[in-house]
Amino acid sequence: MNNSMVKRLILKDWYFQRQAILLAFAGGAVSFGIIFTGSQAGFTIGLILLVTVMVMVSAMTVMGNVLGERENQTLAFAMTLPISYLEYTTAKILGNLLIFIPFWLTMLAGALALIVYSPPIHGFFAFAIIMAVEILLSTCLMLVTALVTESKAWSISAMVTGNLALNVVGYVVAHLPGIKEGLFGTQIYWTPTATITVAVEFALIALLIGGAFHIQSRKQDFI
Amino acid sequence: MSALSVQFKKVSKKYTHFALENIDLELPTGSIMGFIGANGAGKSTTIRILMGLVHQDHGSVQVLGHSMPSQQAAAKLDIGFVSEDMRLYGPATLAWHMNFLRPIYPRWDQPYADKLVQRFDLKPEQKIKGLSHGQRVKAALLLALARRPRLLVLDEPTTGLDPVARHEVLQELMAVLADEDRTILFSSHNTLDVEQISDQITFIDRGRIIDSDDKEAFLDRWRRLRLLLPPDAVLPRLPGVVEVGGSSRLPVLTTNRFEPAMVSACNDLGATVQAVDTMTLEEIFVANVHCRRERLTA
Repeated sequence: MNNSMVKRLILKDWYFQRQAILLAFAGGAVSFGIIFTGSQAGFTIGLILLVTVMVMVSAMTVMGNVLGERENQTLAFAMTLPISYLEYTTAKILGNLLIFIPFWLTMLAGALALIVYSPPIHGFFAFAIIMAVEILLSTCLMLVTALVTESKAWSISAMVTGNLALNVVGYVVAHLPGIKEGLFGTQIYWTPTATITVAVEFALIALLIGGAFHIQSRKQDFI
Repeated sequence: MSALSVQFKKVSKKYTHFALENIDLELPTGSIMGFIGANGAGKSTTIRILMGLVHQDHGSVQVLGHSMPSQQAAAKLDIGFVSEDMRLYGPATLAWHMNFLRPIYPRWDQPYADKLVQRFDLKPEQKIKGLSHGQRVKAALLLALARRPRLLVLDEPTTGLDPVARHEVLQELMAVLADEDRTILFSSHNTLDVEQISDQITFIDRGRIIDSDDKEAFLDRWRRLRLLLPPDAVLPRLPGVVEVGGSSRLPVLTTNRFEPAMVSACNDLGATVQAVDTMTLEEIFVANVHCRRERLTA
């Protein structure tokens, strides 16, 4: 693996996504600003905005970095560099995750801090972590779909699926024994159910990324 | 150093509606090969296989001593590639592209890049999306040439250029040819461009190489013979005749194996040779394609 080339490709993607990254952090800050107004309406609107910003960031980076490269015909330029397609795939997956994860971690840390410092919503601690990892999983689904299919239609389908799954998973998790009991309580809690749920989510992420590498390594045509 | 920069052996690639079949292609180091074919003939697919961007179904490809596609990363370190359908990053400047590529290629020649910036009248700080098509092609060519590649692969680089830009691009390519170790594969359907810079010519049609030779050999062996036949005389059978046109009294024979002795042979058979016309590369290409297609449908 030519790590130096992978690093250069990642830095290139960061360079082209720098405005989106800044906008994402600005959007996150605005969301928390609304949440911290203290009103019930502000909390709800801010939370919805925060989730929307996270979904938008994942969509923007994948569309820009992966599909944009094909659409704008710059993929040929990238692929004529001294790299293999596996190195290109590594750079794309790592690059996108390294753009998304710092933002995602910051927003998650903000959400958890909010929960920790607000006794009435202490019960949301485990639920917030599970849903944040679900957003990461949706992002990986879209990223992997875009890389493997190279199709905007399939990528949008993956994004829609991810968003729908967010609602379904939210509903299911909120009703899981081991989660639902303390969800609206005033105690911060973590249960084995929460551990298993998060572990399943991370296993799915690993499966998606592993699957992407497997499929990419068998591809015959790259342009 | 290997005597061959590129070697295709029995390379095939099958798609649903197109197949590249049994491609044998050799590009000696230091030569400039014009790769001519109609749109959809298989030029770009061949070049993509050469670059490792498309994997062949069968056959072997060696580029600069590297087996493709498995060793494509090492091979691409020494290849400069410009393609009609390759774009640079629109939001970035030419200077950004040069800074991006400089540390990747050990032989990157910044003084030469600066010279090309002047020669091509480009502005390094201008964003690529603000450049005209001609300027974009020149920028891509600059980025390929400044790598000082051992192999330069140009896939229809002059397509869509105005005559002035085309002239400038071809002039620069001809200047590059001074380096005897540099090998160039120049694909185009514009035979005039190819004729100007190439010393080897390969024709491809419908996924098959139909002819490959030195340019001078092509131009020497292809001729049109304009004959005058006496009434009731039969057209003489001559070697290498690929096309017969004209009328029964004034036939025009196209041959790909012309020798001066053919003229006297015609005279001996009762025909009068009125003229022996040389052919342009375009005429040779068209005759070659027609001949092959007729053979296939016969």
